[in-house]
Amino acid sequence: MTRKDLLDIESLRREEIEHLLDQAAPFKELFTRSVKKVPALKGKSVLTLFYEPSTRTLSSFEVAAKRLSADVTTFDVPQSSVVKGESVRDTIATLQAMRTDYIIVRNQMAGIPLAIARATKASVINAGDGAHAHPTQALLDGFTFKEVFPKPAGKKLLVVGDILHSRVARSTSTLMRKLGVEVAWLGPGSLVPKHGPSEIRKFTDYDEAMKWSPDAIYLLRIQMERQSAPFFPSLREYTKLYGVTQERFKRIADQGTYIMHPGPVNRGVELCDDVMDYQRCLIDQQVENGIAARMAVLYWLKPNTSHNELPAEQ
Amino acid sequence: MASLLIKNARIASEDNDDLLQADVLVEKGVITSIENDIDAKAGLQVIDGSGKILSPAMFDTHIHMREPGQEAKETIKTGTEAAINGGVTGVVLMPNTSPAIDSAAMVRTIYEIAQRDSRIPVYTSGCITKGREGKELAGIDGMLQLGVKMLTDDGDAVPDMMLLKRAMEYAGEFDCFFASHCEVLELSGPRALNEGKVSYKLGIQGTPACSEEICMDRDIRLAHATGARLHIQHVSSKIGMETIRWWKQMGAKVTAEVSPHHLLFNEEHIGNYDTHYKMNPPLRTEEDNAALLEGLKDGVFDIIATDHAPHTPFEKQQDFINAPNGITGLETAVVSLFHHYIDKGEFSWSLLVNRYSAEPRRMMGLEPVAIAVGGKADFILFDPEGETTFSSDFMRSKGENTPFLDQTLNGSIDLVVVGEDILLQR
Repeated sequence: MTRKDLLDIESLRREEIEHLLDQAAPFKELFTRSVKKVPALKGKSVLTLFYEPSTRTLSSFEVAAKRLSADVTTFDVPQSSVVKGESVRDTIATLQAMRTDYIIVRNQMAGIPLAIARATKASVINAGDGAHAHPTQALLDGFTFKEVFPKPAGKKLLVVGDILHSRVARSTSTLMRKLGVEVAWLGPGSLVPKHGPSEIRKFTDYDEAMKWSPDAIYLLRIQMERQSAPFFPSLREYTKLYGVTQERFKRIADQGTYIMHPGPVNRGVELCDDVMDYQRCLIDQQVENGIAARMAVLYWLKPNTSHNELPAEQ
Repeated sequence: MASLLIKNARIASEDNDDLLQADVLVEKGVITSIENDIDAKAGLQVIDGSGKILSPAMFDTHIHMREPGQEAKETIKTGTEAAINGGVTGVVLMPNTSPAIDSAAMVRTIYEIAQRDSRIPVYTSGCITKGREGKELAGIDGMLQLGVKMLTDDGDAVPDMMLLKRAMEYAGEFDCFFASHCEVLELSGPRALNEGKVSYKLGIQGTPACSEEICMDRDIRLAHATGARLHIQHVSSKIGMETIRWWKQMGAKVTAEVSPHHLLFNEEHIGNYDTHYKMNPPLRTEEDNAALLEGLKDGVFDIIATDHAPHTPFEKQQDFINAPNGITGLETAVVSLFHHYIDKGEFSWSLLVNRYSAEPRRMMGLEPVAIAVGGKADFILFDPEGETTFSSDFMRSKGENTPFLDQTLNGSIDLVVVGEDILLQR
């Protein structure tokens, strides 16, 4: 049971997801030791290719690869301009020539990691493409969720915010569903996709959603800058309708509901300051688990680069 | 070509669902006799048509041949050869070349290239606005003087309603009609993909069917108000089809076309970002497929047109967002419609002849090419027992961007004849 690439959660079988989550646990144990490194990927090369600015995810992958003893290179690509498909293809040719074993790619356009994966022998890990998928985020979320709910089936997760533009919401919702978790979405009508899976409940009213009594609330980062036609009138109005304000936080804390967030957070928008000190806020745990989950992914994937291209014997 | 005798073929016509078996004699490019048991005299080239269908050749009013400007994708030479390969003996080009076909000079250029490179008649549409920019009117009279009948900014709608209304008031008085690519850009996603389950799954903003339907209704209302004749291109949705049905009942002078791909495919076929299913308007849902087929049978759709849109393999191998819109259609239309509909009894040859041969010619002010004594030979011989594999080798188009690539379907076009010339014989 191996794969060359990790591009989305949709195509993973439940057993594969559970295998990866099981693998992440021993890697996490490593972090408490004085030497945090294992030689699993010694001599292998990992290349990061981020067309979109990122500090958290990029660092997380770098740390994960280094703790597996891989050599890590950051491939500098223009991050500001929208990158044309042509240049991506030319970049792939360059990468192919470098004989790198793993390529970790983030791009603002959905489908780019797939295009790269089809064209290269290296293992490709999608670190986020457009509004399509962010599978390692989903895995670290699943891992974190299982740490607090070892038997996740039947538990309830409420994802709140801009679902429409969020690859995190898509991938994490899909993964949780595969683990048997009940998933619901909450947000403004303009940001909750009408055409999402029918088994995911859609709420546009905060109180209605809370009556559903979720075991954990997954808050998404809210941004205003999207388009000329706005999706909601103002951040103030968003916070009033959907933000975890102090008043709402008190009720959440009373019920002991867990809070998750992919980071970085907008304090005062999707959540208030107090949430960050809440005992059942899992945000820091998610960051730590991100490294373990990504180590498990790197360890699991099998690139097609190792056993060929040797010159034939004369 | 000497005289040609086709023995025992079954003859298709637009007004008879039954195929009538007879021998057909062609002399000097004209059909001179249709009878049983015509003698195979010396000097006659005899073709055995037993079990095969002799059908009027097709005519496609929605073709992108990319010349001038994008000859890597297609040229008038390769495009017209592709047409012949698909049993199509007349085409109308779309004006979104580079530069655009928006003046008498550009129309003349197209005619000159066609004269030199094409074995079939090539007609062209002309732009409504200069450079298809939607700002100023194109040189309409000059183009009409050269025989242009269809005015369109295909690839785009004319966004400015007042400009379109003026164009209709101005040119609606002349012997021409307007053709609309319907799309409200403000409602469209960045790329051609239906807004629905698949756009959600792929994480790309979709374009809802109402983007097309609103523009369609807008353009028909303007045509109805001004008295201009209007043709709606490549309708993709059920409500679009019903919109046209309603307007026809209201007496609007509107015609409409449906493409084979909008009949046969829907958004689910895109699967994992397959760019061979990417075109504008996008593929919609299975429910829309069924409604479009109903519209074709009911006559809401006057014609079938392919929107043949070749691209280079490199372009279509890009990711879904960057890959250009459009698929080829000229070489696959007849065989795919036979395989999926006629062979399964969904509709008859007479419907195909009417919608893809006779009506398109009438729309362009041409005489249909029925197989009748005294008529010019312009027909295909189709073998329903044969099959066609759409391999790279088979296709004459430079574009291989078709979902049918390397598929084998029932039916084969064995012969294409125009006048005294056998353009294709397999």
